[in-house]
Amino acid sequence: MSVNHRNVRRAAVAALGAGVLLSTAACGSSSSNSSANGPVTMTLWTNATTGPGTTFFKDTIQSFEKANPNVTIKMQVVQNEDLDGKLQTALQAGQGTAPDIFLQRGGGKEAAMVQAGQLADISDSLSAETKANVSPGSFAQAQVDGKTYAMPVDLLPGGFWYSKDLFKQAGIAKPPTTLAELEADNTKLKGIGVSPIAVGGKDAWPAAHWYYWFALRECSQQTLDATAQSLKFDDPCWTKAGNDLLAFEKTSPFQPGFLNTSAQQGAGSSAGLVANHKAAMELMGAWDPGVIGSLTPNKKPLPDLGFFPMVQVPGGQGDPQAIMGGSDGYSCSAWAPQPACSDFLNYLVTTPVQENYYKAFDVVPVNKAAQAVVKEPYLRDLMKATNKAPYVSTWLDTLYGLNVGNALNTSVVNLLAGKGSVQGIIDAVNNASAKG
Amino acid sequence: MSESQVSTTAESLDRVSDAGDGRATSPSPARRRPRRRKASWRERVEISLLSGPAIIIFLTFVILPVGMAAYYGFFDWHGYGPATDFVGLRNYKVILSDPEFRAAVRHNAEIVVLSLLIQGPIAVLLALLLNRKMRGRSLIRVLVFAPWVVSEVIAGTGWSLMLPVQGAVNALLTKMQIFGEVKIDWLGNPDLALWTLMGILTWKYIGFAVILLMAGLQNIPEELSEAAGVDGASYWQIQRHITLPLLGPTIRIWAFLSIIGALQLFDLVYIIWGQYVAGVAGTSTMATYMVLNGRNAGNYGYGNAVAVVIFLISLIVALGYQRFVLRRDMVGALTEGA
Repeated sequence: MSVNHRNVRRAAVAALGAGVLLSTAACGSSSSNSSANGPVTMTLWTNATTGPGTTFFKDTIQSFEKANPNVTIKMQVVQNEDLDGKLQTALQAGQGTAPDIFLQRGGGKEAAMVQAGQLADISDSLSAETKANVSPGSFAQAQVDGKTYAMPVDLLPGGFWYSKDLFKQAGIAKPPTTLAELEADNTKLKGIGVSPIAVGGKDAWPAAHWYYWFALRECSQQTLDATAQSLKFDDPCWTKAGNDLLAFEKTSPFQPGFLNTSAQQGAGSSAGLVANHKAAMELMGAWDPGVIGSLTPNKKPLPDLGFFPMVQVPGGQGDPQAIMGGSDGYSCSAWAPQPACSDFLNYLVTTPVQENYYKAFDVVPVNKAAQAVVKEPYLRDLMKATNKAPYVSTWLDTLYGLNVGNALNTSVVNLLAGKGSVQGIIDAVNNASAKG
Repeated sequence: MSESQVSTTAESLDRVSDAGDGRATSPSPARRRPRRRKASWRERVEISLLSGPAIIIFLTFVILPVGMAAYYGFFDWHGYGPATDFVGLRNYKVILSDPEFRAAVRHNAEIVVLSLLIQGPIAVLLALLLNRKMRGRSLIRVLVFAPWVVSEVIAGTGWSLMLPVQGAVNALLTKMQIFGEVKIDWLGNPDLALWTLMGILTWKYIGFAVILLMAGLQNIPEELSEAAGVDGASYWQIQRHITLPLLGPTIRIWAFLSIIGALQLFDLVYIIWGQYVAGVAGTSTMATYMVLNGRNAGNYGYGNAVAVVIFLISLIVALGYQRFVLRRDMVGALTEGA
């Protein structure tokens, strides 16, 4: 995936100020690569704050250090919501402050880091084992202009996560495949006194995801890709997606007060409602089983959790089986000692490490050999749907960058609150460039 | 004291910096300057040792960031690499023409006015009440002050858990069995959300107002009310004609702090509504707008420009208030330093 970034125009007036700052950026090119055999210390930043996730990284680092006695890796766990801001500041400060290995979210953020010379190009450092185990498609999301700047570690496509028990109670024999079926099932679920669908509107992005999913069905793959270049919602499919969402919202599928519900915090959040059988399903990325599991009364995975892909919308230009998702990756900073850093990234996707990764995070590992050990039925259903999909689109907010994603968040919330319009979404995206 | 009449803030700041230079301070530097004696070497060392750290911290963490925000505000900058895309005043034009920002300013203005109108009278009455000797006074004091001591994040999280449609507040109202099943959308209904916010703000900050006013009441000589009582004034007449006027300086200082606090309101809204929903609920503030369109959108240049606009609005309001309202109270307090 190549993210076209607007050219950085250098205004003459800026030269003075830029000169001062360039001195900081210049550090980026200075060589800090330590000698291959000397002792090497690296820092690793991850957002794995939960018990098993933290343990996974501790164990992985320990076994890597054992195999590479001259390497020491210091792990720092950063709260997910704080990570991006801290990382940006640390990378800006450059050598000495920037972490050597860190969680990479990809998309526009990764492209901006590449442009600022903050990431190491690992295209030529991928081991043969890595190339054999990780499909080129999985790398696509970690690439900028055809070069690889991050190692993907998992596959996080999205879809519906639902409670099989509640579906059974409501008399739903099999998960819906079309929008009409979904709406009919919602009515049945309301009949047994649960909210059909939970959505974390307070955090905005879960609501915006609904719009993305309708856009995935309404817009062709070509339109989605072309929009990544133009960042304009000119195609009529964007309006159709908005109309779909508006019509769907009119059937009151979401829990009451969904705009004041957060996505992941506590039993009252959308994931918490599913975890406690207060809502029957949630449209979310593949990190959801882990989140739902942490919010059940006994903090164990939800036993009756199931998965089905986004329903089909009649008349759309998009492939009815297309899927949307993302993946977590890890990058080396431009100042990280090589080859130690890329060695570690290669190590992260080796089969035994990937099997541990799957166990720790309850997600589909990126390594194809490690995928064989995945046994949860919902993850198997997810892998089946992903393999059937003719194409997997990156989350639109990642694909179109922070600025457009933020505008979409705001305008979709406005729409769902009854204060905006479909045209408001289109305008917000088209106007977002004015602010940045 | 006639020279003290010229007490604009700029001049009082001049005097402060005079003091910082280690020269003798006086209400009228122009007249006194020729007679100023030179501070001894020892005095200079002492003053720079005492004031140095504070000045360095102030310059580094207040003045420098303001300057940098002003600088970045002229760029289209996303926070990666150096800022190079100079856009002149474009950010400011977009800010001032953005209906969302105007709405945020309007919400801030509403919060400023409503805070004064709601909290002021309640605080005065509570302070008068708590100033009297009576049973349960300590308990009421604790109840009034406790919310103010609790951190904004904790208070905000608590309210955000209690106020949703399916939250504890509605459940409590339902259990009271007076209103039937209560399903009030305290947070999401735009007609209600601002009042919910005002309720929370009043609950949270009334304790601070009461503390200030009670301190002010301590300074009012009891002889005055005793004398008025002897002359036959009723309790309310005494409060109206003696206590309130003498409490004036305290009330004006509290109003100043309340206005500044309302202009910069961020944490409670950010936590209870989240910056996306605050806009539709009608509780967004200039500060939540800044975070939403600056940090969240990755438009750091634009966000810095918003920060500058907030700074200027707050500065103008603060200076105007000092000039027109606080001046009479400031006379003698700030100007007679020596």
